[in-house]
Amino acid sequence: MSDDIKDKIELIAEESITKISKSKNLNELEDLRIFYLGKKGLVTSFLKTMKDLEQSEKINIGKKLNLLKNKLIKNIEEKKLHLNDALIQQKLLEEKIDITLENDHEQYGTLHPLSKTIDEISAIFANMGFYIEEGPDIETDYYNFTALNIPLEHPARQEHDTFYLQPNSEGTRKVLRTHTSPVQIRTLEKIDIDQAKEIRVIVPGRTYRSDHDATHSPMFHQCEGLVIGENINMSHLKGTLIEFLKVYFNSNNLSVRFRPSFFPFTEPSAEVDIGYKKLSDGTLDIGQGDSWLEVLGSGMVHPKVLEGVGIDPSKYQGFAFGMGLERLTMLKYNIPDLRPFYDSDLRWLKHYGFLGINEINLHSGLNGVFS
Amino acid sequence: MKFTFSWLKDHLNTSANVNEIVDCLNKIGLEVSNLKTYKTDVKNLKVAKIIDVKKHPNADKLNVCIIQFDEEQTQVVCGAPNVKLNKKYVFAPSGTYIGGIDLTLKKAIIRDIESNGMLCSEKELEISDDHNGIIELPESINLNENVSNYLGIDDSIIEIEITPNRGDCLGVRGIARDLSAFGIGELKPLKLNNLNDEFNSSINWEIKLPDDKKSLCPSIFGRSFRNVKNIKSPQWMVNRLLAVGLRPISSIVDVTNYVMMDIGRPLHAYDVNKIDGNTLTVRISEKGDQFNALNGKTYELDDSMLVISDKKGVDDLAGIMGGSRTGVDENTTEFFLEAAIFCPISIAKTGRYLNINSDARYRFERGLDFNSPEVGVIYASKLINDICGGSCSNIVSIAQKKSNKDIIFDFKIIKKLTGVDIDESKVEVILTKLGFEVKKNNKNWNVVVPSWRNDVERSEDLVEEIIRIFGYEKIPTNVLPVKSYITKPSLGLKQRLSLYSRKCLSTRGFNEVITFSFLDKLNAKRFGGGEENLNLVNPISSDLSHLRPSIIPNLINVCNENIKRGITNLSLFEVGPIYKGDNCEDQYNVVTGIRCGNKINKNWKNSELKFDFYDVKSDILAVLNVLEFPVSRLKIYSEAPNYFHPGRSALFKLGNITIASFGQINPFCTNQKDKKIEFFGFEIYLDKLPSPKRKVLSKPLLKLNHLQSLSRDFSFLIDNELNVEDLINEIKLIDKILIQEISVFDVYQGNNIPKDKKSVSLSIVIQPADKSLTDDDLEKLSSKIIDRVFKTFAAEIRSH
Repeated sequence: MSDDIKDKIELIAEESITKISKSKNLNELEDLRIFYLGKKGLVTSFLKTMKDLEQSEKINIGKKLNLLKNKLIKNIEEKKLHLNDALIQQKLLEEKIDITLENDHEQYGTLHPLSKTIDEISAIFANMGFYIEEGPDIETDYYNFTALNIPLEHPARQEHDTFYLQPNSEGTRKVLRTHTSPVQIRTLEKIDIDQAKEIRVIVPGRTYRSDHDATHSPMFHQCEGLVIGENINMSHLKGTLIEFLKVYFNSNNLSVRFRPSFFPFTEPSAEVDIGYKKLSDGTLDIGQGDSWLEVLGSGMVHPKVLEGVGIDPSKYQGFAFGMGLERLTMLKYNIPDLRPFYDSDLRWLKHYGFLGINEINLHSGLNGVFS
Repeated sequence: MKFTFSWLKDHLNTSANVNEIVDCLNKIGLEVSNLKTYKTDVKNLKVAKIIDVKKHPNADKLNVCIIQFDEEQTQVVCGAPNVKLNKKYVFAPSGTYIGGIDLTLKKAIIRDIESNGMLCSEKELEISDDHNGIIELPESINLNENVSNYLGIDDSIIEIEITPNRGDCLGVRGIARDLSAFGIGELKPLKLNNLNDEFNSSINWEIKLPDDKKSLCPSIFGRSFRNVKNIKSPQWMVNRLLAVGLRPISSIVDVTNYVMMDIGRPLHAYDVNKIDGNTLTVRISEKGDQFNALNGKTYELDDSMLVISDKKGVDDLAGIMGGSRTGVDENTTEFFLEAAIFCPISIAKTGRYLNINSDARYRFERGLDFNSPEVGVIYASKLINDICGGSCSNIVSIAQKKSNKDIIFDFKIIKKLTGVDIDESKVEVILTKLGFEVKKNNKNWNVVVPSWRNDVERSEDLVEEIIRIFGYEKIPTNVLPVKSYITKPSLGLKQRLSLYSRKCLSTRGFNEVITFSFLDKLNAKRFGGGEENLNLVNPISSDLSHLRPSIIPNLINVCNENIKRGITNLSLFEVGPIYKGDNCEDQYNVVTGIRCGNKINKNWKNSELKFDFYDVKSDILAVLNVLEFPVSRLKIYSEAPNYFHPGRSALFKLGNITIASFGQINPFCTNQKDKKIEFFGFEIYLDKLPSPKRKVLSKPLLKLNHLQSLSRDFSFLIDNELNVEDLINEIKLIDKILIQEISVFDVYQGNNIPKDKKSVSLSIVIQPADKSLTDDDLEKLSSKIIDRVFKTFAAEIRSH
């Protein structure tokens, strides 16, 4: 009799474990649980018959039955977890979305290329110990011309195409500054050179000339530079400007040429050219080549200018330079036309503009991530 | 200043080619702006005579010509209307490259007729743009004459930019002198053949200037010429004048122009028979004097201009332009030549005032060689005599004496100013070749400046002369000494405020623009400006006549331009100046932004959302936060300028200083005909931001609270007129510790709400301080809030 029971238990064990493992869903599993372990379940009913057995068999078979019961409980639990995971997995698969759709992505705006150029120039000169000054757009004749050794009726004045304002209540007629050079005078007036010993300053800003065609805009931008000290000579002018141009144009072997020229407020004066060659697609390759582009005007500050602001030219001397920022921007970024700089066409702004979040300094590079 | 290579060689003995000369000119500061060489194979060109001409059998407009050149004859098909039997033309045989049409000629069959070359037009040979017919050569030219030389196209034309200080290089000779100093050739001596006086000049000078104005005309020379023939100038002179852009007129006029271009000496010729009396008077014009100039215009003079007149009146504006009454013409047989020095400032003033530009004015303004009047008269006399024949008188003149400037020159200044080490002997050679006289005493030199170098005044000028010839490329290159390794910011507060504003706005989706500082009068007035002293005397156009009182109108304008192109969602900003007056302190730096169109376009997740008042309000607060401005201290007021919408605009003030204004732009100021598009804008007045006295870098100690905060919602029914901010501020006062944050999650007007009321729903975040709150605590706080709001605003609670 006990062997018979033992065989049956073996049989049930084998059968139930297989069925549990093969059950396909939670309902089926629950049915199996009830079938074996429910109040009237197979295993339960065997346990109920235990009381009719002899003591020795009771222990033996009871042990087997309890083992079986525990094993089934454990297997059912495991199977349940497994089926549950499968259900969730199934649900996740059903949650599939169209990955090609997009949100209106948050767009950064752009900074004007001229702003970028001013930031770059400021960064380069900052590294050489320069700081930035600014001055008013509406100037007096004195600062714009006379103090810069351009007296009334000097032919150099005619080259300036000056905008004049209506005379004010005091009867004086102001001008829109034709260059950033008046800030040289304003800066030198402000500073006590005997105390400072040296001054290095750059002046970016708006400038105006009454000229409007494909290559001239009535408003444009210049950056002035001024260095005054006790032992500053033309070799420093050359060294500083070559350094600047190489960094700005990101070209270590940039060829730079200094040519004699004339500006009333410098003596000797020099214009600065950079080498380039024209590529077959019409764009310019800045760096080296047989052709030259003028990018800067410069010279040693004229002794008359220094005398005019009360500085003794036998004690202090220095150099000044000026550059057109539109031109430098066009050359660096291959922008073919001047006029769109001020048209504010959004398409142009987005195409030629720059991200404002990028830092512009020499330790992170002037020209973005890949600079 | 233009000249030809062969002309230069009249003054400069050189073996250099034209490219070497161009290089050298650039090096010494005479910037070459253009080099024109004729590309045609000029050596192939021949003089050809038409010995037979017939209509082309198959083409109406073509002729078939048999031509004779050298010893040969050949046939060419020609389409020019001016081809005639027995006339002489320029012939280019097959195989010749023609520059003007970029083509190498080949033997061709033109409508069944053979053609072995081409008769050329001026355009084809790049002489001019004239393509109306082929070039007709004079009867007198020989068939074997070098026709390209005759036409002057075997030469190169060099154009240089002469800086305003180098009046001495406004003649070919001056340029040759500079080149010789560089060492690329030798300056030839100027050939001066003084002709004999054969009669006494029929005209004499009189200078009628007050003593204090004598400097207006320190020197004047003249000479009469008789029995001259004012014929066409010889071809070589015509070619040179054409090459440098001057129109040949008649030999007398041409000689005056030629001498001006050649040695930089402007001259003027009067027809003696047209002068009333026999005296020409240099004087100051009288108010009301009329002057009929050679350019055909009449000018009214004031009482300050230097003129030359005869008995009848003014007929020469000194140094600027001659008069039409006494000018020479083809019948002139006796004329009087004038060469003078006039005060450059006076010439410039008069020329500018009357707006007359001339080659003479250009040279007088830049200053002439004091000795040039006499040299010029002698030099021109020979040319006149050679070309026009006749005889000349004695030279009449009134001239002050003037000795050349001298400069005490310390040789060491060269090194001090330029860093260049140069031998004394080299310096001496350079200066001497440029015409300076070097007298070495001991330490200092005494350098005498030649009469043609008015621009050289002091040692620094001499340094430039020496270094530009020595070579700028030989100046050493040094970087500036390092001042300090501790970096200081190179940007001041003003620049940093601009920089950070720009960065902030660009990350908020704004595109930066730069617009002109000027705008039209109407917009200037609308936006708070339009004062007379901010009005340009000489604007580019009436659209750009006034300095801007605000950047908003410019931004509206560029928005409208973009809208016309179909771009309707725009966020643009500019950081730049506005002008409230013409003094330095009236220029303000302002951050200005405009938004219009959609903030969010209709898409698969959201419906469209337009920009509104609250977007630009956030923009201002975002910028001010980035600028570390104490935003919580701002007060908002509704009195924005009139160019904003009266009901949808505001000001932010700190105390009584307006920091920013913003809102919807008044539709009357948006230049939109139907006023359909709404623009929202703001202005932040950067100069008005208080600058912190000293920035404290250390931050206040942070105390973090670990008790969980909770949030309760309240809806109140408040008067329409009540600002939500007032409601919030009142509630905050109840418990500054517990009430951490209040946000508005709904504002509702409409159904179920009385017309003069609005329902405002607030979410209040409560942060327990030292112990968790019980339900009872919370209930008490809620009651306090409801009671306070009811008592203060008579506002009822709708739900909580």
